[in-house]
Amino acid sequence: MHVDSVSDTKAILEQLRQSRLAVAVDHKANPAASAAMLNFLVFVDDPTHREWVLERAARVANKHPSRLIVLDSTSTISGVDITTVVLDSGDSVLLSERVDIGVATTGHAAIISLVQELSVPDIPLVLWWSGGRLLASRTFSGLTQGATTVLLDSSGKVRGEEAIRELGEFLTRFPNVALQDLAFLRLAPWQDMIAQFFDDPALREDLFSLTALEIESGSAAEALYLAGWLGSRLSWEIAGREAFRDRSGRTIPFTKIDKGDQRRVASVVLRAGEATYRAALSAEDSNVVELSVDGPKARPIKYAPLRNIDNTSLIERAIIENRRDPIFETSLLTVRDLLG
Amino acid sequence: MAITAASPNPLRAGLDSNRIADPCNIVFFGASGDLTKRMLIPAMYNLRLGDVLPTNYGIVGFSRSEKSDDAFRDEMKSAVDTFSRTGEARDPMWSDFASRLTYVSGSFDDPDAFRRLRERLDANDEQLGTAGNRLYYLSTPPGVFATIVQQLAAAGLGPRDRERGWSRIIIEKPFGTDLESARALQAEVNAVFEERQVYRIDHYLGKEPVQDIMALRFANVMFEPIWNRRYVDCVQITAAETVGVEGRGGYYEQAGALKDMIQNHVVNLLALVAMEPPISPNADHIRDEKFKVLSALRPIREEDVAKLTARGQYGPGLIDGKPVAGYREEPSVDPQSTTETYACVKFFIDNWRWADVPFYLRSGKRLARKHSEIAVRFRGIPHRIFGETGDQIENNTLVMKIQPDEGVSIRFNAKIPGQKMHIRGVTMDFNYGPGFGVVSAPAYERLIADAMRGDATLFTRWDAVERAWEAVVPIMNRWAESRVVDFPNYLAGSQGPQSADALLVADGREWRRI
Repeated sequence: MHVDSVSDTKAILEQLRQSRLAVAVDHKANPAASAAMLNFLVFVDDPTHREWVLERAARVANKHPSRLIVLDSTSTISGVDITTVVLDSGDSVLLSERVDIGVATTGHAAIISLVQELSVPDIPLVLWWSGGRLLASRTFSGLTQGATTVLLDSSGKVRGEEAIRELGEFLTRFPNVALQDLAFLRLAPWQDMIAQFFDDPALREDLFSLTALEIESGSAAEALYLAGWLGSRLSWEIAGREAFRDRSGRTIPFTKIDKGDQRRVASVVLRAGEATYRAALSAEDSNVVELSVDGPKARPIKYAPLRNIDNTSLIERAIIENRRDPIFETSLLTVRDLLG
Repeated sequence: MAITAASPNPLRAGLDSNRIADPCNIVFFGASGDLTKRMLIPAMYNLRLGDVLPTNYGIVGFSRSEKSDDAFRDEMKSAVDTFSRTGEARDPMWSDFASRLTYVSGSFDDPDAFRRLRERLDANDEQLGTAGNRLYYLSTPPGVFATIVQQLAAAGLGPRDRERGWSRIIIEKPFGTDLESARALQAEVNAVFEERQVYRIDHYLGKEPVQDIMALRFANVMFEPIWNRRYVDCVQITAAETVGVEGRGGYYEQAGALKDMIQNHVVNLLALVAMEPPISPNADHIRDEKFKVLSALRPIREEDVAKLTARGQYGPGLIDGKPVAGYREEPSVDPQSTTETYACVKFFIDNWRWADVPFYLRSGKRLARKHSEIAVRFRGIPHRIFGETGDQIENNTLVMKIQPDEGVSIRFNAKIPGQKMHIRGVTMDFNYGPGFGVVSAPAYERLIADAMRGDATLFTRWDAVERAWEAVVPIMNRWAESRVVDFPNYLAGSQGPQSADALLVADGREWRRI
């Protein structure tokens, strides 16, 4: 169903109702049973990235009963397209709704007002921001104010050190909004593997006497976040742009090497005196990580599944969490301080 | 503060696997059995894939049949390929996992075999860094549980014989075949293991929806004020299966529905739904509350068994439109068998919260649908203001769905749109799967991981097992004494025997449809 004018919210809401009714009748379902769990708001402004974003948004929305509102600023569509889909849920019939709105020529105030009108009240509103600017965009700030969770990828469209600095400021400006960065979320398997080294009580002490950190990664954000996470967990202080200082005052150089696929970490090396802890992608299978401990407390090489989490699953995870993550936030602030 | 090896790993904070288990060896007794192949080894492999296992671990299979480590690995590879929810095992993960698998063959009463087991475990401690920690899993026929425990002690493998590391034991159900045998087994187990080291597994309790019951009750404020005798009319707990005895006729002949399902799974559900709020999610706090509820079950006098229970046995019938044999025609079943394949019991809980509220429990095989749920039916409204229309105003019902659908539904009354005040019952439904978009891990994965971490919350403590046996013993006795004349008394694929319906009809109620 289509509505020509993006400002005619009455017509959009009526078309939503009609769409739901038509699908419900087709499936012999109760049209009132559209049990939306969340408002899922997606902003996209890059035509080359658009399909990628929308495909993943649709996958999430088709799994979680939601009202998906796509704010498409790429000039690909005009007006408003409305669809209702039936979710596969065993005995029950659940409906999920989608509203695609062409907003390339719509002002920020109108966009924000439109979202308020179209959102289902009293359920979370997750904003997946895939726009080029962050705090400098009044649309971003306005939509964030009404959101419970903001999700973005500082290793994707919004890249680089500047994005991470802005995210640091985001925490101050929007203390009630949960911020989730896919670049941090995709580090979970690496964090787990690094932690694994030191689950062994005999190696635990080395964690508190590390002397160097090297991370190879295809994008800066992942390497910085991993260093920030390690530094914040171990209460390190900043000692310049490429070094930390531990609680005993020892300087720990941090080397970031640009290597491997984009958005992927390739290896992490931790040194503690003569001991070297290395987690690196296996040459045999890039979905497996070789974990080795060399030096006085050497251990046999072990293999761990990388469990690289696809972006759709990461988005789901952020949605399900739906709360501020203090581990992420302290890691982010550590990186912000490291960047100066 | 000095940092030592005993300091917690600060990198674990906030990670999914923040409760990773200690390094340990797991010994599966009955390693050639069906359970090990279908459930346990696939569960272990998936725990490995999910990074839930500790870095240093070893798995030892122990069984009667002679085979080499390599032959055992091949068998387990085939088991994982066939039964794992994650599909076929792949290298290098499988080779890494397989390198931790070893096998000890021997009879469960052979001291020499247990000596070899000890040597294997000691070697694993040295080679795999498993730190002397041992988890023993008894997936054998119940008849050898006590023997294995005795042999463990004799071989110096019990917790009290060893200088370092922890020892825990997982015991599959059934824990005893009646109160007396359960107490005897407990005495044997308790002679070697302390209660905190014993994990009595009931895979039902590892199912996600069973854990959801606690969340529904204790993470919401709106149910608690009405969760009592003042508002609840009755509670119906159903565990219905469409399957028959599935080749386990020999076992089932000795068990029956009362011992196989009601005494453990269904009574545990009753405890979860009826217990008081625990003061914390700590295992013992939860198990204390469950114990209190089971202690408050009104004892059924043998002379009351006939009016408080019903039993049945299925005859031939149709399941999913296909003809199936009756119980007495199943392999290894006596053609004149009087074993019940359906049992229902009406319990009362004598405490302030539940006084005089009947809890109807039922379980059966070859019923119309595979269907498990707990239905809390509330009392009727105290005064009808919409009496003139003649509409049926239903009692509100809250249903916790366990399987196959996992969720919660609430039945309430609503006005039908229109000028007249017509009222109709409607259902509000929540399903966990689509609601959260995630699939829960199988119960065995959850439970094995919990035992490795030392979390006994989802395992049954001895005092609760004893209370559950005490609750059903009078029924067992009476049923054993009284002659059954009407078996088979329900058709396969039906709602169960009429005597079960009559039990509720006598109370002015009826069962929810399966």
